[in-house]
Amino acid sequence: MLDSPSVDLDLETTQREGFSIVSLRGEIDVYTAPLLRQTLVDAIEQGAVNVIVDMERVDFLDSTGLGVLVEGLKRVKTREGHFAIVATQDKILKIFDITGLNKAFPIHSSVDDALSEATAGS
Amino acid sequence: MTEPKAVPDLELEFPARPEFVRAARHAVSALARLSGASEEVVEDIKLAVSEACNTAVAANAEAGSEAVELRAFDSPARLVIEVMDRGANPERTVSGPPEELDTGDLPFERALSLPIIRGLVDELAIAPRGDRGAVVRMTVSLEGQGR
Repeated sequence: MLDSPSVDLDLETTQREGFSIVSLRGEIDVYTAPLLRQTLVDAIEQGAVNVIVDMERVDFLDSTGLGVLVEGLKRVKTREGHFAIVATQDKILKIFDITGLNKAFPIHSSVDDALSEATAGS
Repeated sequence: MTEPKAVPDLELEFPARPEFVRAARHAVSALARLSGASEEVVEDIKLAVSEACNTAVAANAEAGSEAVELRAFDSPARLVIEVMDRGANPERTVSGPPEELDTGDLPFERALSLPIIRGLVDELAIAPRGDRGAVVRMTVSLEGQGR
């Protein structure tokens, strides 16, 4: 069911400077979040320790999507890696603010910022 | 809190399955736009409705997959949205201004959804629904939204 064309979430994973960059487009909700979870789990199981989730083209994010991001953060942290979010849209930032998870994730305004911050801090 | 009018401006019944939550939030957001809500408020409503529907879908799926029901009432100053499930009753009724609600005693699966809803709506009430289930009633003010 997850690879059905009706799923309104596109995911693309690219590699850059030792980071796996997961770029998302569409809506992350209770139906599509499992697809994001599987993508993150696969990337981390295949050895990714530094992950950037690019949410610039995400139209919607709910608590199930947040739960998946928290799980990804935990998995990466046990491998002493970096897990960062790229988001600038108010509607996406708001849910991080309400839940206090803006303190758990480094949130950047672009993939370039996320990369330079993460590599500077390591 | 006054009771909403008798005939809803939107009434939905959908299977307690995750893929239908998107349809529910888009239907309510279309009504909110029709009511003159700003895009920011429309986004808040979309998220609040989704969280309430997620909880209702989970509650109903556990109870045997009955339909989730949603009603929305549009009035000049506000939009009232009710999401109704048939899950186990909430352990107690909570009602009042969102920031004053103590949700600590509610079942765990509502732990993340409720604080999010509280952060988005102007008024939130959760009440038992007859002998089984709950009604989550969310009120969003539309004042200053071009009315």
